[in-house]
Amino acid sequence: MTNITYVGEHLWAGHLGNGFVVLALIAALLSCVTYFLSVSDGSYLKLARFSFNLHSFSVFGKAGTLFYMLFNHYFEYQYVWQHSNTDMNMKYIMSCFWEGQEGSFLLWTFWNVVLGLLLKRQLKNGDWEIPVMVIFALVQVFLASMILGIYVGDYKIGSNPFLLLREHPDFSNMPFVQNENYLAKLNGRGLNPLLMNYWMTIHPPTLFLGFASTLIPFAFAIAALWNGKYSEWQKVALPWTYFGILVLGIGVLMGGAWAYEALSFGGFWAWDPVENSSLVPWLVLVAAGHTMIINKNKGGSLFTTHFLAIGAFLLVLYSTFLTRSGVLGNASVHAFTDLGMTGQLVLYVLTFIFISVALLIKESLFKTSYVVLSLLLLAFALVYGYARVTLMVWISASAIITFVSYYLYFPKEKDEEDLFSREFWMFLGSLLLILSALIITYFTSIPVINKLFGTEYAPPKIPVYNSWIVPFAILVMLTIGAAQFLKYKTTDRRKFLMRISYSFGIALLFGLVCSIPLYFMEMHTGNSDTWELISYALLLTTGLFAAIANADYFLLVLKGKVSKSGAAIAHIGFALVLLGALISTSKKVVLSKNTSDKKVSALGADFDEKRSILLTQGDTLPMGPYLITYTGKKREGINVYFYVDYLKKSAQGKPEFDFTLVPHVQDNPRMGRAPEPATKHYLNRDIYTHVTYADLNIDTTKNKANAYSSAKNFIGHVGDTIFSSNAIIVIDSLRSNLSETEYKKNDSFLEVTAVLRCVDVKGKNYFAYPKYIIQNNVVIPKEDIVDKLGLKLVFWKINPDQGSVEITLSERLSNAKDFIVMEAYVFPYINILWLGCLVMAMGTIIAIRERIRKFSVKQN
Amino acid sequence: MKKLHILGIIIIAVAIGVIFVSLKNTSTYADFAEAFSNPDKEYHVVGRLDKNQPQVYDPKVNPDEFLFSMVDNKGITKQVVLHKSKPQDFEKSEQIVLIGKMQGDNFHANDILMKCPSKYNDGKQQIN
Repeated sequence: MTNITYVGEHLWAGHLGNGFVVLALIAALLSCVTYFLSVSDGSYLKLARFSFNLHSFSVFGKAGTLFYMLFNHYFEYQYVWQHSNTDMNMKYIMSCFWEGQEGSFLLWTFWNVVLGLLLKRQLKNGDWEIPVMVIFALVQVFLASMILGIYVGDYKIGSNPFLLLREHPDFSNMPFVQNENYLAKLNGRGLNPLLMNYWMTIHPPTLFLGFASTLIPFAFAIAALWNGKYSEWQKVALPWTYFGILVLGIGVLMGGAWAYEALSFGGFWAWDPVENSSLVPWLVLVAAGHTMIINKNKGGSLFTTHFLAIGAFLLVLYSTFLTRSGVLGNASVHAFTDLGMTGQLVLYVLTFIFISVALLIKESLFKTSYVVLSLLLLAFALVYGYARVTLMVWISASAIITFVSYYLYFPKEKDEEDLFSREFWMFLGSLLLILSALIITYFTSIPVINKLFGTEYAPPKIPVYNSWIVPFAILVMLTIGAAQFLKYKTTDRRKFLMRISYSFGIALLFGLVCSIPLYFMEMHTGNSDTWELISYALLLTTGLFAAIANADYFLLVLKGKVSKSGAAIAHIGFALVLLGALISTSKKVVLSKNTSDKKVSALGADFDEKRSILLTQGDTLPMGPYLITYTGKKREGINVYFYVDYLKKSAQGKPEFDFTLVPHVQDNPRMGRAPEPATKHYLNRDIYTHVTYADLNIDTTKNKANAYSSAKNFIGHVGDTIFSSNAIIVIDSLRSNLSETEYKKNDSFLEVTAVLRCVDVKGKNYFAYPKYIIQNNVVIPKEDIVDKLGLKLVFWKINPDQGSVEITLSERLSNAKDFIVMEAYVFPYINILWLGCLVMAMGTIIAIRERIRKFSVKQN
Repeated sequence: MKKLHILGIIIIAVAIGVIFVSLKNTSTYADFAEAFSNPDKEYHVVGRLDKNQPQVYDPKVNPDEFLFSMVDNKGITKQVVLHKSKPQDFEKSEQIVLIGKMQGDNFHANDILMKCPSKYNDGKQQIN
């Protein structure tokens, strides 16, 4: 290639960024090694701390450089070109940063470093600083390599955000590379317009902070496996675990809120693989938090705690693999595209499983055998292939070894729990959470299972998930309600049953009474599965029980003392979330079906579901309790807004304007058309609508004035009628210049005029006189236009045998009224769900504060 | 943790058992021929739009019915009745996944997933 000196490039930024990328990796590696060495030689500690700080500095440097490049529109860089442009509003510049994979890895690394610096300060000179920071730095080595972007042989390690556009493999042989001045007219491709909203600004940072916070219990748990101090770390890690539960929980629910408000899933939760893969680590982290409390108060459940603390982080890695490797393919609407990092992600997950299992083994011969076996299998897979079989062999071996070493080396409880002890029920609750996490993981992993075993299972639909999760939710609610009133070790049974019977009685009464109109009445209609309705009624009752029992505990046992009540409040919140989800989902009403009285498909009940309504501009239609009118549309930029008025009958029975909803469709140049819903919020219900089919073109009347629709042909006799969209056309009579006999004698010229009377909706008559002319055996029809009605009529054929005539009709395009097809739903009491989120977050914050307070009291 | 262990193992065993049983009823990816041979079972059929065949969507008659033809991966074309409104950008779709059953000579789908090229191609053609 010839040497071209490009004009206007800012090459220093890329060099700086790449410098930070390399420095971050080397510093993390150095920090990991020196922390490891300081286990036996304290003189390395200084260097270890310094190199972790250096790593942190480089990560901030990377992030800062990328942000600077985005802010100054350095489109010579592929990442900047791909994710931003000069036309966009600068308030979305943060979203550009984490729209792509490289940026989101950078965001994740950034949060890890922030948490790592805080943790390092907290643990300084304590027992845990060294082992925890070894693990922390090791994870950072892996994450830093994800944005390295270098080739080792044919294999690419990481994907680099500081790559020049003209050096990117997709663009390097394009013609613009030959143009030294290519930058002058280059604008970026820009942020996907679908992501230009405040959710994209707040949701990813929250979620990634949640992901990052799973690293802390993980690092402690691995460190404990290493140094054998299985229970000492838990009180240090507990506030951090709660913090993770809080932030990850908020992140997950924010995703639900985003989907509900701005996407057209038709709800807040669709069991999409991307949603599931952040929910599952949360469930596992919650279970870990609870077993840690058991351990703190009573000892025991050590193995479970380690298993869960390690599992939560590994599941975060696994979810990263699921959503970014392209393995989901058809199964998800919003997975990232494959950047060729699948191998790397799998390798990281496996490495940490390997480290955990190896550290669990205490006997050195056994440990060596496991390490050798793993290396042999790896070598076998690299040399001979058979990666799937080898992987399954290795995973099975690791699982067996885990259980063997648990029995051989792990400290275990001697006595059994009492059935009437808090720890029994807390542990049971955690077990149920783990099982639901396993089931969700299993369903979400079906594409992976297909890959591994060559099966062809399709991902399950929403009702399958619901029917699996509802029974677990019922049981979890029971444990949440019961556990509060139990004491650790053992409880006086009679007292407990007395205390709990109030909440249980009230919940049972309320639940059953409410279930009659909600669920039991429906059983006779035969529209729904009886078992499903019973399970909903049970979840309603147990959910109420959980909420009431915890409220009772908060008010009567804790006497409303807020600082002690974090757990009770968080549990009330969780119960409310489930109750809100249950009611709004199970009692979701399809408003838009009521009026479509058109033919029901003749193919059985399977396909009867009516969900859409056709709204013609200007017409008023009944829909549920409303009368609705589609009044028109407006285009603003790439969004087309559809205005739909809702009218309600007043006391006098006259329709009165109630509100307007404006669902819109984004004519997204990158992803195609994306409908975005509009929702009317009431305290007790939401009315949620989105447009599923519409014409997005807004033509001005000017270019439509002379355009006509394609012609429709009519065959008829005198006296017949033709229907147009705005008039009835009657064939009044036919007049000819000649009689039939005259024409036969002399076939030079024949002119037949059809007299067409067009009656408009108001009953006014207009006449049209299209002519059928034969001259020298050639037919020349002469059209006529009724300008007022926009009708063009052509009389073009006479069938003498039948005595009929054929006339075509075209209508001016502006006659055809605009229409939309819309879906509308009512979500009752969905606000209980959002209220629950707030209450749960509040409770968790109170619990974190209390843990930190207790912890610092103990230390002084 | 004896009691809990036994309980846990029982629950896990039951869950695994039920999952394996439920696999039998799980919808699988298939082609039209397989769906045709088993008309009561729900399948996911992958294919692409047959652009030579007509598409009928008349929301004035039924906004929840859309007729078109799809060629599956084996090259067999069948008429499809989608019991939903016509998806936006339908013509641009590169690949279609239909979820439904064979009934008579037509495939009746409750739901449709589409893959549009623009989403995956990342707009390489936009420069120059």
